[in-house]
Amino acid sequence: MTATLPKAGAVPVASMKRRRRAPGWLAVLPLLVFTALAFGLPALAMFNGAFTVKGQTTGATSYSLSNLTTSLHGAYLTALLGSVKLSAVSAAIAAVLGLSLAQAVVTSRFRALREAVLTASGVLANFGGVPLAFAFVATLGNSGVLTRHLGLAKHGWDLYSFWGLITVYLYFLIPLMVLTITPALEGLRSHWREAARNNGATALQYWRHVALPVLAPSLLGGLVLLFGSAFAAYATAAAMVGSSVPLVTLQIADAISGNVLVGQENVALALSLDMVLVAGLVMAMYLPLQRRSARWLA
Amino acid sequence: MARLNPWRWCVLACAGLYFLVPLAASVVFTVDVPGQGVTFDAYTHILSADGFLSSLLLSLELAAATIAAVLLLMVPAMVALRLGAPKLRPVVDVVCSLPLVVPPIALAAGMGTVLKWGPEHLSRTPLFQTFVAIQNPSFPFVLVLAYVVMALPFAYRALDAGLRAIDVPTLVEAARSCGASWPQALVRAVLPNLRGALLNTSFLTLALVLGEFTVAQLLGFQPFAVWIVTVSGSQAQLSVAVSVLSLLVTWALLLALAGFGGRSRTASRG
Amino acid sequence: MTATTRDKAVAEKAATVEFRRLRREFGKTIALDGLDLAVRPGELLALLGPSGCGKTTALRLLAGFEHPDAGEVLVDGQDVTGVPAHRRDAGMVFQSYSLFPHLSAVDNVAFGLRMRKVRTAERRARAAVLLELVGLGDKGERFPHQLSGGQQQRVALARALALRPRVLLLDEPLSALDAKVRLTLREEIRRLQRELGITTLFVTHDQEEALSMADRVAVMRAGRLEQCAPPSELYGRPATAFVAEFVGTMSRIPGHLDGTTVEVLGQRLPADGEVPATPEVDVLVRPEAVHVAAEGQGDARVVATAFLGATTRLTVRMADGVEIKADLSTHEAAALAAGTAVRVSLPRRPVLVAERAH
Repeated sequence: MTATLPKAGAVPVASMKRRRRAPGWLAVLPLLVFTALAFGLPALAMFNGAFTVKGQTTGATSYSLSNLTTSLHGAYLTALLGSVKLSAVSAAIAAVLGLSLAQAVVTSRFRALREAVLTASGVLANFGGVPLAFAFVATLGNSGVLTRHLGLAKHGWDLYSFWGLITVYLYFLIPLMVLTITPALEGLRSHWREAARNNGATALQYWRHVALPVLAPSLLGGLVLLFGSAFAAYATAAAMVGSSVPLVTLQIADAISGNVLVGQENVALALSLDMVLVAGLVMAMYLPLQRRSARWLA
Repeated sequence: MARLNPWRWCVLACAGLYFLVPLAASVVFTVDVPGQGVTFDAYTHILSADGFLSSLLLSLELAAATIAAVLLLMVPAMVALRLGAPKLRPVVDVVCSLPLVVPPIALAAGMGTVLKWGPEHLSRTPLFQTFVAIQNPSFPFVLVLAYVVMALPFAYRALDAGLRAIDVPTLVEAARSCGASWPQALVRAVLPNLRGALLNTSFLTLALVLGEFTVAQLLGFQPFAVWIVTVSGSQAQLSVAVSVLSLLVTWALLLALAGFGGRSRTASRG
Repeated sequence: MTATTRDKAVAEKAATVEFRRLRREFGKTIALDGLDLAVRPGELLALLGPSGCGKTTALRLLAGFEHPDAGEVLVDGQDVTGVPAHRRDAGMVFQSYSLFPHLSAVDNVAFGLRMRKVRTAERRARAAVLLELVGLGDKGERFPHQLSGGQQQRVALARALALRPRVLLLDEPLSALDAKVRLTLREEIRRLQRELGITTLFVTHDQEEALSMADRVAVMRAGRLEQCAPPSELYGRPATAFVAEFVGTMSRIPGHLDGTTVEVLGQRLPADGEVPATPEVDVLVRPEAVHVAAEGQGDARVVATAFLGATTRLTVRMADGVEIKADLSTHEAAALAAGTAVRVSLPRRPVLVAERAH
């Protein structure tokens, strides 16, 4: 870069170099300091708290694994497994449906439709939460419009069940999948389809041997993102008061606010740590996949 | 292609049904109240509802502060990564991906713990005043901290995509060779070309803050989303009405701004 | 390797291809407006024309990616318009980036055989032979992103040949490559095509490429065929003014038509071929056919010179503002710097005339 600068005397070049070097990391510094404080500190507190127990009589603190052990037993374990199961199932369904929808939208000739669907996806995937839960309560809840008018309760419909919750989660997971997979679908070159046809592949063979393998990293990446999103979701479930599905996020909230038992704050931190570990594990699969798909579809 | 059309329409129709029916049913729910017949009370009462304006205002203020903080932190850092400090790229990459691994509720739990250190350990130090100040219920700055962290991954990706489309070093050198100073080069040459990415980042952050519930509720503040849940216990129709309106208004807003952003992009190309 | 190549050349007689009154519209634009063209067995025919002239559409119709609104495509005398793309028996090489990114070079080449359910060992062996043929025998395990642009196009060529197609289709395969690679690959494609004796259609907008590679060149314009002839004939005896100006460099000099002779630059020369109905015409001349000599009283001036190696190209401006390009040997041109007053003349040969432009 210095080579392209106008030629100058020896001293100005040196000082210019110094002046240009400094702002480089100085501009990044505020971001790093901020994350260290706003993110690193709470993360440390969580780690520390998860391993800390307060002596019941003395009030002295000591380090132990008992919080983590507690968080992996009984109702807490059920909730953790329940969350994983709910997230996995809803992510899988949303990935398939989201891919179909994205493909239908991407190949559409109507630009307005594309724009509307993608923006709506942006809203639903990020805004979700509370308004979403209420919309579904009003529609399919116990006194919801569809439940009343179609008599769904008689057919065994229950919004507060496992599948009911999945129905709600899909409302923000499918848009999230559409957002994630659309760039990958747009990266599929028409030349690949034609080259496959030219080499004697049927439409089905093209999808089986070319399109899906090429999309695979993005698809798996999307799946991971959906899982993480469903796993972390709290607002939706919390707003649907009365849900019978055990979820780890609900357990954390209960433990913090002392709704069930008092003095469970550190178990809440241990549960949070469990969540971070699960999410971290899943994310660790996502990043290499994303890098590969970026290389293929660049 | 022609053969795929029925399939495409089927998918679009099913999606339309799934995504529009809850919205339509919610509107019916708010308007057609059992025992009262058709009434628009739920909508006419929104403005006068207790806490509506104050919570909405609080959310908007939080959103403005968060957007400002995200842009001020991220834009200089991202531009610097392309210009002077490419070696820091992996660091920033990791830092901005980490919040994806920590769910908001875990972040809230951690923050709650840190906030408790104030009264427990720091009550004699000047830091204590800071702890009190950032938890001021009329403008809880601690929420801005949390929201900025939560917005980092989105902001990073949106800005990175924007920066990838332009050649920042060349742009800056071109501006410098035309006699612009460093700040001028950044403000006059780089930022205008990042307009789409900046808008995108702002809107994602706006949507995130307006809809955020988890952290605010757990830390005990009452912005918009928490207020909706609080009010739902006593006024079901009202809470659904507000929910639907907020979804539609945000969508319309983003659509309008996307159209605006798209036009300005094509205009600048031509 | 040689055995396979010879097998192929002997086993199948090269195919003929014929386009008959092909018509294709995309909304309001007419891509093909009644194209008639016959390709002889085993020849390399280049489709040449400006962008949007319909040359790529013609190729895609033959490959089965597009369907004609009217007309027929015949391969070996049989109409193939109803045959779906994956059974057309026409190997195609695309402009660029058509290799499957998730497959190695060998697997890319073997893709078609895999679709035909050929056993793994057999198809890999055949793919290896083909890669050897295009000079990439040692790069079989590389992925597309590990190959240079030229190497990628070689793999694409091997892939197009893997199913022993009756026709080879090349859709501007060299246009995304840099100049040097383009030259070597040009020669290589030609060598391979000769060796295999496969009927080949080559779409390009680069006239130099078309003239140097093809047995015959078909010049297209606005969805129609202008002329189809061997390169030398195309250059030396262009059938129309469009072909004359599109292939090589041409200068237009205003002249006056009188029956079958034309008066130009103070000379009277016979007009060649069809002549326009109007007397006010332009005479079309190649730069190498223009004589330029220094003459103090001449009202023409040299305005620019461009050194091209053995020759130097002069741009001469006439008194009436018309500019003429002339190629002189660099030795002769040395005396004619910019600003020199000169006289321009034409050799006593029949000249091509066209309706006056503008």
